[in-house]
Amino acid sequence: MADSLTESDALVVPSADRRRSPESAIDEKVIGLFDELRVPLLRYLAGFPLTVHDSEDVIQEVFLALFRHLRSGKSHQNVRGWLFRAAHNLALKKRFRSRRDVENAGLMLVEERLADPAPNPEDQLAFSQTQKRLVSVVRAMPEQNRWCLYLRAEGLRYREIAEVLDISLGSVCLYLERSLAHIARAAER
Amino acid sequence: MSEESHLSDQELLLVVDGELSPRESGRVQSHLAACWACRVRKQEIETAIGEFVRLQRQDFNLRIPPADGPRALLKAQLAQQARPERISRLPWFRSVSLRVGWAVLAVVLVVATVTPFVFRTYVRRPAARFTAVTVPNPRLTPGATVLLSEREICREVSVNNKPVPIALQQKVFDEYGLRAAEPRAYEVDYLITPALGGADDIHNLWPESSSATVWNAQVKDALEDHLRNMVCEGQLDLATAQHEIASNWIEAYKKYFHTDRPVEVQRY
Repeated sequence: MADSLTESDALVVPSADRRRSPESAIDEKVIGLFDELRVPLLRYLAGFPLTVHDSEDVIQEVFLALFRHLRSGKSHQNVRGWLFRAAHNLALKKRFRSRRDVENAGLMLVEERLADPAPNPEDQLAFSQTQKRLVSVVRAMPEQNRWCLYLRAEGLRYREIAEVLDISLGSVCLYLERSLAHIARAAER
Repeated sequence: MSEESHLSDQELLLVVDGELSPRESGRVQSHLAACWACRVRKQEIETAIGEFVRLQRQDFNLRIPPADGPRALLKAQLAQQARPERISRLPWFRSVSLRVGWAVLAVVLVVATVTPFVFRTYVRRPAARFTAVTVPNPRLTPGATVLLSEREICREVSVNNKPVPIALQQKVFDEYGLRAAEPRAYEVDYLITPALGGADDIHNLWPESSSATVWNAQVKDALEDHLRNMVCEGQLDLATAQHEIASNWIEAYKKYFHTDRPVEVQRY
Protein backbone atom coordinates (compact mmCIF):
# COMPACT_ATOMS: atom_id res chain seq x y z
CA MET A 1 0.00 0.00 0.00
CA ALA A 2 1.17 3.52 -0.71
CA ASP A 3 1.34 4.33 3.00
CA SER A 4 4.38 2.13 3.41
CA LEU A 5 6.43 4.54 1.30
CA THR A 6 7.74 7.12 3.71
CA GLU A 7 9.65 10.25 2.88
CA SER A 8 12.83 9.00 4.47
CA ASP A 9 13.08 5.68 2.63
CA ALA A 10 11.61 6.70 -0.69
CA LEU A 11 14.82 6.96 -2.63
CA VAL A 12 17.36 5.18 -0.50
CA VAL A 13 19.10 2.57 -2.66
CA PRO A 14 19.49 -0.61 -0.56
CA SER A 15 23.08 -1.69 0.09
CA ALA A 16 22.62 -4.82 -2.07
CA ASP A 17 21.70 -2.51 -4.97
CA ARG A 18 25.03 -0.72 -4.75
CA ARG A 19 26.80 -3.82 -6.01
CA ARG A 20 24.82 -3.60 -9.26
CA SER A 21 25.18 -0.92 -11.92
CA PRO A 22 23.46 2.37 -11.06
CA GLU A 23 21.09 2.02 -14.06
CA SER A 24 19.92 -1.44 -13.07
CA ALA A 25 19.36 -0.28 -9.48
CA ILE A 26 17.26 2.61 -10.81
CA ASP A 27 15.40 0.22 -13.15
CA GLU A 28 14.51 -2.00 -10.22
CA LYS A 29 13.54 0.93 -8.05
CA VAL A 30 11.23 2.29 -10.75
CA ILE A 31 9.67 -1.12 -11.41
CA GLY A 32 9.22 -1.62 -7.65
CA LEU A 33 7.44 1.72 -7.36
CA PHE A 34 5.34 0.87 -10.42
CA ASP A 35 4.22 -2.38 -8.78
CA GLU A 36 3.40 -0.52 -5.58
CA LEU A 37 1.69 2.56 -6.95
CA ARG A 38 0.16 1.64 -10.33
CA VAL A 39 -3.22 0.74 -8.83
CA PRO A 40 -3.42 3.79 -6.51
CA LEU A 41 -2.53 6.00 -9.51
CA LEU A 42 -5.14 4.28 -11.69
CA ARG A 43 -7.73 4.88 -8.98
CA TYR A 44 -6.73 8.53 -8.75
CA LEU A 45 -6.92 9.01 -12.52
CA ALA A 46 -10.42 7.53 -12.41
CA GLY A 47 -11.40 10.78 -10.71
CA PHE A 48 -10.56 12.90 -13.76
CA PRO A 49 -12.12 10.80 -15.32
CA LEU A 50 -9.90 9.11 -17.94
CA THR A 51 -10.43 5.87 -19.85
CA VAL A 52 -8.45 2.85 -18.66
CA HIS A 53 -6.32 3.05 -21.79
CA ASP A 54 -5.50 6.74 -21.29
CA SER A 55 -4.77 6.17 -17.61
CA GLU A 56 -2.30 3.40 -18.44
CA ASP A 57 -0.61 5.71 -20.98
CA VAL A 58 -0.28 8.44 -18.37
CA ILE A 59 1.20 6.02 -15.85
CA GLN A 60 3.77 4.77 -18.38
CA GLU A 61 4.81 8.38 -19.06
CA VAL A 62 5.01 9.16 -15.35
CA PHE A 63 7.33 6.25 -14.57
CA LEU A 64 9.52 6.98 -17.60
CA ALA A 65 9.80 10.57 -16.38
CA LEU A 66 10.73 9.27 -12.93
CA PHE A 67 13.40 7.04 -14.48
CA ARG A 68 14.91 9.97 -16.41
CA HIS A 69 14.78 12.12 -13.31
CA LEU A 70 16.55 9.60 -11.10
CA ARG A 71 19.11 8.79 -13.78
CA SER A 72 20.04 12.44 -14.02
CA GLY A 73 21.07 12.25 -10.36
CA LYS A 74 18.21 14.29 -8.97
CA SER A 75 16.42 13.11 -5.88
CA HIS A 76 13.05 13.60 -4.26
CA GLN A 77 12.01 14.07 -0.70
CA ASN A 78 8.70 12.43 -1.43
CA VAL A 79 8.50 10.15 -4.46
CA ARG A 80 4.88 9.23 -3.92
CA GLY A 81 3.83 12.88 -3.91
CA TRP A 82 6.01 13.51 -6.99
CA LEU A 83 4.37 10.62 -8.86
CA PHE A 84 0.85 11.80 -8.05
CA ARG A 85 1.71 15.34 -9.06
CA ALA A 86 3.27 14.20 -12.35
CA ALA A 87 0.26 11.96 -13.02
CA HIS A 88 -2.08 14.86 -12.27
CA ASN A 89 -0.34 17.22 -14.70
CA LEU A 90 -0.04 14.62 -17.47
CA ALA A 91 -3.67 13.60 -17.01
CA LEU A 92 -4.75 17.22 -17.46
CA LYS A 93 -2.78 17.40 -20.72
CA LYS A 94 -4.11 14.03 -21.85
CA ARG A 95 -7.67 15.05 -21.13
CA PHE A 96 -7.21 18.33 -22.97
CA ARG A 97 -5.85 16.48 -26.02
CA SER A 98 -8.63 13.86 -25.87
CA ARG A 99 -11.30 16.53 -25.70
CA ARG A 100 -9.74 18.43 -28.59
CA ASP A 101 -9.55 15.25 -30.68
CA VAL A 102 -13.14 14.42 -29.89
CA GLU A 103 -14.29 17.92 -30.72
CA ASN A 104 -12.32 17.87 -33.97
CA ALA A 105 -13.87 14.57 -34.91
CA GLY A 106 -17.33 15.85 -34.00
CA LEU A 107 -17.92 12.85 -31.79
CA MET A 108 -19.44 12.45 -28.39
CA LEU A 109 -17.08 12.03 -25.45
CA VAL A 110 -16.06 8.49 -24.86
CA GLU A 111 -18.41 6.99 -22.34
CA GLU A 112 -16.19 4.23 -21.08
CA ARG A 113 -14.71 5.73 -17.94
CA LEU A 114 -13.04 4.10 -15.02
CA ALA A 115 -15.36 5.86 -12.64
CA ASP A 116 -18.49 4.99 -14.55
CA PRO A 117 -20.99 2.62 -13.00
CA ALA A 118 -21.47 -0.77 -14.53
CA PRO A 119 -21.30 -0.96 -18.32
CA ASN A 120 -23.74 -3.78 -18.93
CA PRO A 121 -27.30 -4.45 -17.72
CA GLU A 122 -26.35 -7.27 -15.33
CA ASP A 123 -23.78 -5.15 -13.54
CA GLN A 124 -26.09 -2.16 -13.56
CA LEU A 125 -28.69 -4.18 -11.69
CA ALA A 126 -26.11 -5.18 -9.11
CA PHE A 127 -25.18 -1.55 -8.60
CA SER A 128 -27.49 -0.36 -5.85
CA GLN A 129 -29.50 2.80 -5.99
CA THR A 130 -27.41 4.34 -3.22
CA GLN A 131 -24.22 3.64 -5.06
CA LYS A 132 -25.62 5.13 -8.25
CA ARG A 133 -26.60 8.24 -6.31
CA LEU A 134 -23.13 8.45 -4.79
CA VAL A 135 -21.50 8.07 -8.20
CA SER A 136 -23.56 10.92 -9.59
CA VAL A 137 -22.79 13.09 -6.54
CA VAL A 138 -19.04 12.46 -6.89
CA ARG A 139 -19.19 13.13 -10.63
CA ALA A 140 -21.03 16.39 -10.08
CA MET A 141 -18.49 17.73 -7.58
CA PRO A 142 -16.12 20.53 -8.59
CA GLU A 143 -12.90 18.95 -9.80
CA GLN A 144 -10.73 20.25 -6.96
CA ASN A 145 -13.11 18.72 -4.42
CA ARG A 146 -13.10 15.39 -6.22
CA TRP A 147 -9.33 15.32 -6.64
CA CYS A 148 -8.83 16.05 -2.91
CA LEU A 149 -11.15 13.18 -2.08
CA TYR A 150 -9.38 10.71 -4.38
CA LEU A 151 -5.91 11.74 -3.18
CA ARG A 152 -6.92 11.47 0.48
CA ALA A 153 -8.41 8.04 -0.24
CA GLU A 154 -4.97 6.98 -1.50
CA GLY A 155 -3.46 7.94 1.84
CA LEU A 156 -1.90 11.31 0.98
CA ARG A 157 -1.64 13.76 3.86
CA TYR A 158 -3.13 17.24 3.52
CA ARG A 159 0.30 18.77 2.92
CA GLU A 160 0.97 16.31 0.08
CA ILE A 161 -2.45 16.96 -1.46
CA ALA A 162 -1.77 20.69 -1.32
CA GLU A 163 1.52 20.14 -3.19
CA VAL A 164 -0.01 17.89 -5.84
CA LEU A 165 -2.85 20.31 -6.58
CA ASP A 166 -0.87 23.48 -5.86
CA ILE A 167 -3.43 24.80 -3.40
CA SER A 168 -3.32 25.86 0.27
CA LEU A 169 -3.75 23.54 3.25
CA GLY A 170 -6.91 25.41 4.20
CA SER A 171 -8.37 24.76 0.75
CA VAL A 172 -7.65 21.05 1.06
CA CYS A 173 -9.56 20.90 4.35
CA LEU A 174 -12.42 22.99 2.98
CA TYR A 175 -12.80 20.90 -0.21
CA LEU A 176 -12.70 17.65 1.72
CA GLU A 177 -15.29 18.89 4.18
CA ARG A 178 -17.63 19.94 1.36
CA SER A 179 -17.11 16.68 -0.56
CA LEU A 180 -17.85 14.53 2.47
CA ALA A 181 -20.93 16.61 3.31
CA HIS A 182 -22.28 15.92 -0.22
CA ILE A 183 -21.58 12.22 0.17
CA ALA A 184 -23.20 12.08 3.61
CA ARG A 185 -26.37 13.75 2.26
CA ALA A 186 -26.51 11.40 -0.76
CA ALA A 187 -26.08 8.34 1.47
CA GLU A 188 -28.83 9.50 3.86
CA ARG A 189 -31.52 9.91 1.18
CA MET B 1 -22.33 22.71 26.97
CA SER B 2 -23.62 25.60 24.92
CA GLU B 3 -24.30 25.47 21.16
CA GLU B 4 -21.59 28.07 20.50
CA SER B 5 -18.89 25.82 21.88
CA HIS B 6 -19.53 22.90 19.48
CA LEU B 7 -16.70 21.84 17.18
CA SER B 8 -16.82 22.87 13.53
CA ASP B 9 -17.00 20.22 10.77
CA GLN B 10 -13.50 21.19 9.72
CA GLU B 11 -12.16 20.58 13.22
CA LEU B 12 -13.91 17.22 13.30
CA LEU B 13 -12.47 16.29 9.89
CA LEU B 14 -8.98 17.36 10.95
CA VAL B 15 -9.15 15.19 14.05
CA VAL B 16 -10.51 12.23 12.05
CA ASP B 17 -7.61 12.57 9.60
CA GLY B 18 -4.99 13.08 12.31
CA GLU B 19 -4.08 16.51 10.98
CA LEU B 20 -4.25 18.46 14.27
CA SER B 21 -1.27 19.31 16.46
CA PRO B 22 -1.06 17.25 19.68
CA ARG B 23 -2.25 20.24 21.71
CA GLU B 24 -5.23 20.95 19.46
CA SER B 25 -6.01 17.27 19.25
CA GLY B 26 -6.11 17.02 23.05
CA ARG B 27 -8.56 19.94 23.23
CA VAL B 28 -10.85 18.40 20.60
CA GLN B 29 -10.72 14.94 22.18
CA SER B 30 -11.72 16.28 25.59
CA HIS B 31 -14.62 18.16 23.97
CA LEU B 32 -15.74 14.98 22.18
CA ALA B 33 -15.62 13.04 25.44
CA ALA B 34 -18.18 15.44 26.86
CA CYS B 35 -20.35 16.23 23.79
CA TRP B 36 -22.70 13.64 22.29
CA ALA B 37 -23.76 15.90 19.44
CA CYS B 38 -20.18 16.39 18.21
CA ARG B 39 -19.48 12.66 18.56
CA VAL B 40 -22.46 11.91 16.33
CA ARG B 41 -21.25 14.40 13.71
CA LYS B 42 -17.77 12.91 13.83
CA GLN B 43 -19.33 9.50 13.29
CA GLU B 44 -21.26 10.87 10.28
CA ILE B 45 -18.02 12.11 8.73
CA GLU B 46 -16.39 8.72 9.19
CA THR B 47 -19.46 7.03 7.68
CA ALA B 48 -19.23 9.31 4.62
CA ILE B 49 -15.54 8.42 4.25
CA GLY B 50 -16.47 4.74 4.47
CA GLU B 51 -19.19 5.15 1.82
CA PHE B 52 -16.77 6.80 -0.59
CA VAL B 53 -13.97 4.28 -0.08
CA ARG B 54 -16.38 1.34 -0.52
CA LEU B 55 -17.85 2.87 -3.65
CA GLN B 56 -14.45 3.63 -5.14
CA ARG B 57 -12.97 0.20 -4.42
CA GLN B 58 -16.06 -1.74 -5.50
CA ASP B 59 -16.51 0.14 -8.75
CA PHE B 60 -12.83 0.27 -9.58
CA ASN B 61 -11.93 -3.31 -8.74
CA LEU B 62 -14.40 -4.50 -11.38
CA ARG B 63 -12.35 -2.74 -14.05
CA ILE B 64 -8.74 -3.00 -13.02
CA PRO B 65 -6.73 -4.52 -15.87
CA PRO B 66 -3.94 -7.02 -15.11
CA ALA B 67 -0.53 -5.49 -14.45
CA ASP B 68 1.55 -7.91 -16.55
CA GLY B 69 1.16 -6.06 -19.87
CA PRO B 70 1.83 -2.52 -18.63
CA ARG B 71 4.71 -3.81 -16.48
CA ALA B 72 6.37 -5.55 -19.44
CA LEU B 73 5.88 -2.46 -21.58
CA LEU B 74 7.48 -0.23 -18.94
CA LYS B 75 10.45 -2.60 -18.59
CA ALA B 76 10.96 -2.61 -22.36
CA GLN B 77 10.78 1.19 -22.49
CA LEU B 78 13.21 1.53 -19.59
CA ALA B 79 15.64 -0.79 -21.37
CA GLN B 80 15.33 1.34 -24.51
CA GLN B 81 15.92 4.55 -22.56
CA ALA B 82 18.90 3.15 -20.69
CA ARG B 83 20.77 1.98 -23.80
CA PRO B 84 22.29 5.26 -25.14
CA GLU B 85 23.15 6.41 -21.63
CA ARG B 86 25.04 3.20 -20.92
CA ILE B 87 27.08 3.54 -24.10
CA SER B 88 27.97 7.17 -23.47
CA ARG B 89 29.08 6.41 -19.92
CA LEU B 90 31.68 3.85 -20.96
CA PRO B 91 35.10 5.33 -20.04
CA TRP B 92 36.84 4.07 -23.19
CA PHE B 93 34.20 5.68 -25.35
CA ARG B 94 34.72 9.04 -23.70
CA SER B 95 38.48 8.88 -24.09
CA VAL B 96 38.44 8.30 -27.84
CA SER B 97 39.77 11.46 -29.47
CA LEU B 98 37.92 13.27 -32.21
CA ARG B 99 40.53 12.25 -34.79
CA VAL B 100 40.24 8.57 -33.98
CA GLY B 101 36.47 8.99 -34.03
CA TRP B 102 36.55 10.31 -37.59
CA ALA B 103 38.86 7.45 -38.64
CA VAL B 104 36.47 4.90 -37.14
CA LEU B 105 33.56 6.58 -38.89
CA ALA B 106 35.37 6.41 -42.23
CA VAL B 107 36.12 2.71 -41.79
CA VAL B 108 32.50 2.04 -40.83
CA LEU B 109 31.28 3.86 -43.94
CA VAL B 110 33.59 1.86 -46.20
CA VAL B 111 32.55 -1.42 -44.60
CA ALA B 112 28.89 -0.46 -44.85
CA THR B 113 29.28 0.32 -48.56
CA VAL B 114 31.29 -2.77 -49.49
CA THR B 115 29.57 -5.39 -47.33
CA PRO B 116 26.25 -5.64 -49.23
CA PHE B 117 28.14 -6.08 -52.50
CA VAL B 118 30.39 -8.80 -51.05
CA PHE B 119 27.41 -10.42 -49.38
CA ARG B 120 25.33 -10.53 -52.58
CA THR B 121 28.26 -11.72 -54.67
CA TYR B 122 29.89 -14.36 -52.53
CA VAL B 123 27.48 -15.37 -49.82
CA ARG B 124 24.39 -17.18 -51.07
CA ARG B 125 22.88 -18.41 -47.83
CA PRO B 126 20.18 -15.84 -47.05
CA ALA B 127 18.17 -18.18 -44.81
CA ALA B 128 21.13 -19.37 -42.75
CA ARG B 129 19.78 -17.80 -39.54
CA PHE B 130 16.12 -18.14 -40.31
CA THR B 131 13.95 -20.22 -38.03
CA ALA B 132 10.38 -20.80 -39.16
CA VAL B 133 7.87 -20.01 -36.41
CA THR B 134 4.28 -20.84 -37.26
CA VAL B 135 3.02 -21.61 -33.75
CA PRO B 136 4.17 -19.64 -30.69
CA ASN B 137 6.01 -21.21 -27.80
CA PRO B 138 3.27 -21.67 -25.13
CA ARG B 139 5.77 -21.07 -22.34
CA LEU B 140 6.80 -17.68 -23.76
CA THR B 141 3.46 -16.74 -25.29
CA PRO B 142 0.59 -18.27 -23.36
CA GLY B 143 -1.71 -15.40 -24.43
CA ALA B 144 -3.02 -12.54 -22.29
CA THR B 145 -6.34 -10.72 -22.34
CA VAL B 146 -7.86 -7.51 -21.05
CA LEU B 147 -11.07 -7.43 -19.03
CA LEU B 148 -13.65 -6.67 -21.68
CA SER B 149 -17.11 -8.10 -22.10
CA GLU B 150 -18.41 -9.56 -25.37
CA ARG B 151 -20.63 -6.54 -25.70
CA GLU B 152 -17.71 -4.12 -25.38
CA ILE B 153 -15.69 -6.11 -27.91
CA CYS B 154 -18.50 -6.30 -30.45
CA ARG B 155 -19.33 -2.62 -30.06
CA GLU B 156 -16.29 -1.73 -32.20
CA VAL B 157 -17.12 -2.08 -35.88
CA SER B 158 -13.55 -2.89 -36.84
CA VAL B 159 -10.50 -3.12 -34.63
CA ASN B 160 -7.05 -2.58 -36.10
CA ASN B 161 -4.12 -4.00 -34.15
CA LYS B 162 -1.99 -1.29 -32.57
CA PRO B 163 1.60 -1.29 -33.84
CA VAL B 164 3.88 -3.03 -31.34
CA PRO B 165 6.61 -0.66 -30.03
CA ILE B 166 10.08 -1.44 -31.43
CA ALA B 167 11.53 -2.01 -27.96
CA LEU B 168 8.85 -4.57 -27.18
CA GLN B 169 9.37 -6.26 -30.57
CA GLN B 170 13.07 -6.53 -29.78
CA LYS B 171 12.25 -8.11 -26.44
CA VAL B 172 10.05 -10.68 -28.18
CA PHE B 173 12.88 -11.52 -30.60
CA ASP B 174 15.29 -11.84 -27.66
CA GLU B 175 12.96 -14.16 -25.79
CA TYR B 176 12.63 -16.39 -28.85
CA GLY B 177 16.40 -16.43 -29.34
CA LEU B 178 16.10 -14.61 -32.68
CA ARG B 179 18.52 -11.85 -31.78
CA ALA B 180 20.59 -12.34 -34.95
CA ALA B 181 17.65 -13.05 -37.23
CA GLU B 182 16.59 -10.89 -40.14
CA PRO B 183 13.79 -8.75 -38.61
CA ARG B 184 11.87 -8.60 -41.89
CA ALA B 185 11.54 -12.37 -41.81
CA TYR B 186 9.12 -12.04 -38.89
CA GLU B 187 6.11 -10.04 -37.92
CA VAL B 188 5.56 -9.59 -34.19
CA ASP B 189 1.90 -10.53 -33.96
CA TYR B 190 -0.70 -10.79 -31.21
CA LEU B 191 -1.58 -14.38 -30.32
CA ILE B 192 -5.04 -13.37 -29.12
CA THR B 193 -5.94 -10.45 -31.35
CA PRO B 194 -7.11 -7.24 -29.61
CA ALA B 195 -10.32 -7.69 -31.65
CA LEU B 196 -10.97 -10.67 -29.34
CA GLY B 197 -9.79 -8.94 -26.17
CA GLY B 198 -6.06 -9.73 -26.51
CA ALA B 199 -3.73 -7.58 -24.39
CA ASP B 200 -0.71 -5.43 -25.34
CA ASP B 201 1.42 -7.78 -23.32
CA ILE B 202 4.66 -9.59 -24.08
CA HIS B 203 2.93 -12.82 -23.07
CA ASN B 204 0.53 -12.25 -25.95
CA LEU B 205 3.14 -11.44 -28.62
CA TRP B 206 5.18 -13.80 -30.80
CA PRO B 207 7.38 -13.58 -33.91
CA GLU B 208 5.33 -14.99 -36.77
CA SER B 209 7.34 -16.04 -39.83
CA SER B 210 6.52 -13.81 -42.76
CA SER B 211 7.57 -16.46 -45.25
CA ALA B 212 5.41 -19.31 -43.96
CA THR B 213 3.59 -20.51 -47.05
CA VAL B 214 0.70 -22.56 -45.65
CA TRP B 215 -0.13 -21.49 -42.09
CA ASN B 216 0.71 -17.82 -42.46
CA ALA B 217 -0.48 -14.49 -41.02
CA GLN B 218 -3.29 -14.14 -43.57
CA VAL B 219 -4.70 -17.50 -42.55
CA LYS B 220 -4.56 -16.49 -38.88
CA ASP B 221 -6.28 -13.17 -39.71
CA ALA B 222 -9.09 -15.14 -41.36
CA LEU B 223 -9.48 -17.27 -38.22
CA GLU B 224 -9.54 -14.15 -36.02
CA ASP B 225 -12.29 -12.57 -38.16
CA HIS B 226 -14.26 -15.80 -38.17
CA LEU B 227 -14.05 -16.27 -34.38
CA ARG B 228 -14.98 -12.65 -33.75
CA ASN B 229 -18.04 -12.98 -35.98
CA MET B 230 -19.03 -16.13 -34.12
CA VAL B 231 -18.62 -14.39 -30.74
CA CYS B 232 -20.59 -11.34 -31.84
CA GLU B 233 -23.36 -13.46 -33.34
CA GLY B 234 -23.63 -15.41 -30.07
CA GLN B 235 -22.46 -18.72 -31.57
CA LEU B 236 -19.35 -18.92 -29.39
CA ASP B 237 -18.52 -17.43 -26.01
CA LEU B 238 -15.58 -15.08 -25.77
CA ALA B 239 -13.58 -17.10 -23.23
CA THR B 240 -13.73 -20.20 -25.46
CA ALA B 241 -12.62 -18.23 -28.52
CA GLN B 242 -9.68 -16.76 -26.56
CA HIS B 243 -8.73 -20.18 -25.19
CA GLU B 244 -8.92 -21.93 -28.57
CA ILE B 245 -6.79 -19.38 -30.40
CA ALA B 246 -4.25 -19.23 -27.55
CA SER B 247 -3.94 -23.03 -27.25
CA ASN B 248 -3.18 -23.76 -30.91
CA TRP B 249 -4.44 -21.41 -33.57
CA ILE B 250 -3.86 -23.92 -36.37
CA GLU B 251 -5.96 -26.57 -34.63
CA ALA B 252 -8.59 -23.90 -33.95
CA TYR B 253 -8.60 -23.01 -37.66
CA LYS B 254 -9.11 -26.65 -38.65
CA LYS B 255 -11.90 -26.99 -36.10
CA TYR B 256 -13.86 -23.86 -36.99
CA PHE B 257 -13.31 -23.94 -40.76
CA HIS B 258 -13.85 -27.74 -40.89
CA THR B 259 -10.76 -28.28 -43.04
CA ASP B 260 -7.24 -29.63 -42.74
CA ARG B 261 -5.77 -26.96 -44.98
CA PRO B 262 -6.36 -23.21 -45.20
CA VAL B 263 -9.23 -22.25 -47.45
CA GLU B 264 -8.44 -19.91 -50.35
CA VAL B 265 -8.11 -16.35 -49.08
CA GLN B 266 -9.97 -13.92 -51.31
CA ARG B 267 -7.54 -11.27 -52.56
CA TYR B 268 -8.64 -7.85 -53.73
